[in-house]
Amino acid sequence: MPLDTDVAIETPEHIVFRHRVAGPARRFLAYLLDVVICYSVFSIIAVIVVIAVAGTAVLGEAEGAFGLGIGFLLVVLFAIQWLYFAVLEGWLGRTPGKRALGLRVVTASGRPIGFRAAALRNVLRAADALPLAYTAGLLSISGLVSMIATRRFQRLGDLVAGTIVIVPERTRAATPLLLFPPAQPYELAQLPDDVRLDAEERHAIEMFLRRGPRLGQARQLELASMIAPQLAARFGLRSENPMRTLALLYDRAASAGRTDAPASSKVPGSWR
Amino acid sequence: MALVSSLTERAFVDRRQRDWDRLDALARVAQGRGLRRLPPEDIAQLSPLYRDVCADLARAEAARYGAQLIEYLQGLTAAAHTAVYGHAKGRWSAPGRGSALRVAVEAFPRAVRRHRVAMLVALLLFFVPFFAGLLATLADPGFAVRIVPEAQLRPLVEAYSRGFDSGRDAGTDALMAGFYVNNNVGIALRCFATGLTFGVGSAFYLVENGLATGAIMGYVAARGAGDNILTFVVGHGSLELGAIVLAGGAGLALGWSIIAPGDRTRIASLQAAGRSVVVIVFGAAVMLFMAAAVEGFWSSSSLPAVVKRSVGVGMFVIVMAYMVLGGRGSEQAAHIERSEEDDRWT
Repeated sequence: MPLDTDVAIETPEHIVFRHRVAGPARRFLAYLLDVVICYSVFSIIAVIVVIAVAGTAVLGEAEGAFGLGIGFLLVVLFAIQWLYFAVLEGWLGRTPGKRALGLRVVTASGRPIGFRAAALRNVLRAADALPLAYTAGLLSISGLVSMIATRRFQRLGDLVAGTIVIVPERTRAATPLLLFPPAQPYELAQLPDDVRLDAEERHAIEMFLRRGPRLGQARQLELASMIAPQLAARFGLRSENPMRTLALLYDRAASAGRTDAPASSKVPGSWR
Repeated sequence: MALVSSLTERAFVDRRQRDWDRLDALARVAQGRGLRRLPPEDIAQLSPLYRDVCADLARAEAARYGAQLIEYLQGLTAAAHTAVYGHAKGRWSAPGRGSALRVAVEAFPRAVRRHRVAMLVALLLFFVPFFAGLLATLADPGFAVRIVPEAQLRPLVEAYSRGFDSGRDAGTDALMAGFYVNNNVGIALRCFATGLTFGVGSAFYLVENGLATGAIMGYVAARGAGDNILTFVVGHGSLELGAIVLAGGAGLALGWSIIAPGDRTRIASLQAAGRSVVVIVFGAAVMLFMAAAVEGFWSSSSLPAVVKRSVGVGMFVIVMAYMVLGGRGSEQAAHIERSEEDDRWT
């Protein structure tokens, strides 16, 4: 069922599917993870450089090596601040932090982003960090306000570069619902040939039937009683067991008229 | 109600599940290791499998199969879509002469000229405060202290008074080059990015840096090392200050696109400006890398002042000529600009 944090993507095949857009909390955690990764790597490099400089100091070349080491570390620091995100997102569509949180950056039309969009959205982190610049982007007030104000949780960099951050969700194929036990003759006798449910009703009943076994008996009964009597009245059924009524109605609505449908769903002698 | 499909959901799933599983496996590999790592026969399979699952999704929705099945098919379609479709990279490596790098080299000055008004405003926003700071400090050296802390000024005076006859050791050169990369490129990128605040941020960075640079130069000159700092600055000045102005101008263009969007929506105008100026930001960053190398290893060397100044003037001429003449008549760059003009990010 579509949520208001979904974004519909139409493919060149004119098929529409939906991506779930990632919210601020999840993206903040991914960013935090990236910052931790960056500065951990930086620390390791810094220790190696210091050891190397100390090594050359023993050999009597201290001053030159010291300057070279610090200069190198400054360039690494620059790369962390300005290149890490742009290069990884342009290349793979995600940084290690985003990967860990299951996020991916795509364009508003659902395509992978290129290097230019990646560079733009990440250079503009400096604008998202306003008014508290120099907090390594961890307190991005403007970015947060922008995310809350836009429908697809876009920070300023996303708005300019036309990108969104999605959570690609993969559900496993569920087995179709089967009526169990099979319909009895007396149930078939009173079930109408043509059961028409609108999409919302079908979805609600399907979700109930799938989750039913995980609910307690009393709760199942309570939920089913909220809708079953009305539906039973509409289709002229006697509703003795609300759960069974819903199962029967769903089964006929879902499978009526299909050639290999089970007996409960066969509409005798008619093709609709 | 006419039936779209005479298949029950179960029969449909039974019939199609093998292909779905195959596509699922391929999409996972393509996402994890990249499409290029797949063997050719798998790539050949991917496309028809993807189109089939698109058709299956349409069929499942029309036949009103269960919501869980449709959700599964949507997820599978989305995953395969990500694997099958790349970003529109055709433009920068378009067929014809030249590589993406060459196109970028031609597109950079063209973009600068396209945004010449913003660039001129940025130039003024930097150099008016620069000369104001310079002249005010020359008249009264106390002025500089109000802008730049004295603790920063004093070592500079000492350094420049010493001159360059002894040169600098290679280690210090490397340290300073690294510092310039980290500091200056960072300033330029921040100067661009804050243009998003209707240009105010860019204007602030331009004025602030112009004023401080002018004050520092004036202060050093007032203390009698004017010749030395001029000799030092002239080598990389055109690259460094030019790049700051260009980055600031790109930021101003970004800000202006929100203020005056023309016949577009503000967001479309902003996105178009972003696409248009991003090459300037790249170019400015590259210029600053070059400036850092010059500043670190050349400007501080013990070469005679006359050589440094001639080369500095030469650099200025080259940079100006590149901005004014570079990329003129480049068919490919013009084609990219046309296609970007109305295009959305794809």
